[in-house]
Amino acid sequence: MDKKVPIGLKDDGTKYKVLIIDDSSFVIKQLTQILLSESFEIIDTAADGDIGLEKYKEHHPKIDLITLDITMPNQDGLTTLEKIIEYNKDAKVIMISALGKEDLVKKALMIGAKNYIIKPLDRAKVLDRIHSAIIGVNK
Amino acid sequence: MRVEYINPFVESSVSVISEVLGIDVERKEISLRSKAVPVLDIAVIVGLVGQVEGRVIFDMDKKTVLNIVSKMNEEEISDFDELAKATITELGNMITGRAVTKLSEMGYKFDVTPPAIFTGNNMQISDVKMEALVVPIETSLGRIEINVALREK
Repeated sequence: MDKKVPIGLKDDGTKYKVLIIDDSSFVIKQLTQILLSESFEIIDTAADGDIGLEKYKEHHPKIDLITLDITMPNQDGLTTLEKIIEYNKDAKVIMISALGKEDLVKKALMIGAKNYIIKPLDRAKVLDRIHSAIIGVNK
Repeated sequence: MRVEYINPFVESSVSVISEVLGIDVERKEISLRSKAVPVLDIAVIVGLVGQVEGRVIFDMDKKTVLNIVSKMNEEEISDFDELAKATITELGNMITGRAVTKLSEMGYKFDVTPPAIFTGNNMQISDVKMEALVVPIETSLGRIEINVALREK
């Protein structure tokens, strides 16, 4: 019987690389566990938007996907999203927030986020949204 | 303060806690506090700014916090360390986020500030000219007091 291929693996067998930008070490831990279980690679993490942007520039173009928190100290998620998209309009960013306000979700998608996940994080939901963004990458 | 502001916080506390921790929760009687608020051991505070402003406090004793963060991390946490702080802050963040989403659906426009943690014995929090509504939530992991003080700008 065929074994299901983890969604974190590309067709050539290499791993999709993810940058996590979130001010909560708990959320970083949770996301890391979920992503590692599907063979993704966490290329780096950042605790605020300023550092996140620096890390993105440092690792780009190796990064396949970014998860980005909205409410963070220093530079918030939406400002960071704008700067990432300005730097690379094809960047694949998934917003992750406890806030599900319609205007916020619309704004994030309008700026260029590929998807929006509302916390609490559910493993299946996270992987589904990330998978959709990846399929978009491959199209 | 209008009671309609507190309901989304209580409802989202009940739903987020039962969803994240997988435990039953019981909502106790609401009460009004007009003076300084005594804090148990650990308080997570989230500020709200915009059309409605004020703050929400999730107040717990240390044992309750350690029970909750151990369950959320699926490992025994016996010290109130950095991971414990991040975990309990995130619980406050998720509850507030869901409540603010509900309130925004009701037409109120405001934003939340990143949560902060206060710890200490015999600590009090005073709100100048702002009454607080308190709703205790009883769970098998301990009691959480949700303390909401909001006013329209």
